[in-house]
Amino acid sequence: MSKSYDAEKETFMGIPRKQIPWWPTIDYEKCDFCMECDKFCPHNVYAKNYDEKQQLIVKNPYNCVVFCRACAKTCAPDALSFPDKRETTNLIKKLRSENK
Amino acid sequence: MDKQLCVLPCNGLDKSLGVIARVVALNLIEKKPDINLICPVLLNAGDEKNESNLRESRTIVIDGCMTRCATKLIEERNQKIYKRIFIPDMSKKLKIKPGTSLKLSENAKKLAEMIANEFLEELEVSEKEDIVIVAKTERMDFFDITVDKFYFQVPKEGYFFNENDCWIKPDVNRALIGITDYLQNQSSDIMFVELPEIGQEIEQFDDVGSFESVKTVLQLISPGSGKIVAVNKALEGHPEWMNQDCYQQGWFAELELKDFEEDKELLMDGPEYFQYMKEKILKEKELLDKEKED
Repeated sequence: MSKSYDAEKETFMGIPRKQIPWWPTIDYEKCDFCMECDKFCPHNVYAKNYDEKQQLIVKNPYNCVVFCRACAKTCAPDALSFPDKRETTNLIKKLRSENK
Repeated sequence: MDKQLCVLPCNGLDKSLGVIARVVALNLIEKKPDINLICPVLLNAGDEKNESNLRESRTIVIDGCMTRCATKLIEERNQKIYKRIFIPDMSKKLKIKPGTSLKLSENAKKLAEMIANEFLEELEVSEKEDIVIVAKTERMDFFDITVDKFYFQVPKEGYFFNENDCWIKPDVNRALIGITDYLQNQSSDIMFVELPEIGQEIEQFDDVGSFESVKTVLQLISPGSGKIVAVNKALEGHPEWMNQDCYQQGWFAELELKDFEEDKELLMDGPEYFQYMKEKILKEKELLDKEKED
């Protein structure tokens, strides 16, 4: 089902998903390219970049489930971080009140 | 709770984390010799002594990475996991990098020893704790929907939900939290739960714990904010309650609420969540049917 996920049409709490900046950031100083996060994530957020050096990239940021940080648990070198949850919650509240 | 303990490490030799898992197990049996060591390789080859050890003991599994080989060996045998050590979690908790070399560095060896010490301390505390099973069961009215062979229920009243498919049931200034029927269906048979610590302060949408099935690992994202005042310890022995009765016996934790009126702004009530869940299920079914056609 994740293959056919259409980020353009998705909403989260009534807000277009594309207005919510929630996805992982990779710290390349720490990442050892074990790809555990990519193997784990069922939403195809990550991909391996074969163009330059083999690097993990966030290919589909809007596939990431808002508030989900499960992939970070798989990362032994602690190379994955997410936006501030409180800021994201406040943004969602603001956008919801503007849309009322 | 005086049944024999055994330890089953993943022993994976494809990355340093697996080697660390093996060394943690060796540290455990050295420090607590009454723990039996199960060899994953022999077990996989069908060794009867290891099999019977596993059947008759409470099992501590040690997984080096998300492939969760040790957990899978238990799941294949329909056995229960008593405690689990997940090396990446411990590495973060103890703030020691595991490194990538299969030949363990001094740091990695130190990490393995510290994990074993930390685990044995926790084990001692948890062995002393009484497990109180509180059956919070009452008659409830549900909305329901059947899609293919799956049956989904949502309580009509008393519960609130977030879009991460978790529920909160407030009662004056306290609330129980748990997962919805949708999430338990998504995860299939739950084999292991990781509960939060009592006293932990949490904000709305914090992850407060995780649960694992053969298929996946999922998080419980809290619909409310406050302090954890109780956890459902009974789930450690009966994780299947989260599948069988996710709204009552399968509750996960209890919160002392901070500001539920504010939390509620971003939550759905029963009818709203049922509508949301129904649309999500039907959309997924449509996509799956389409994928099958293609």
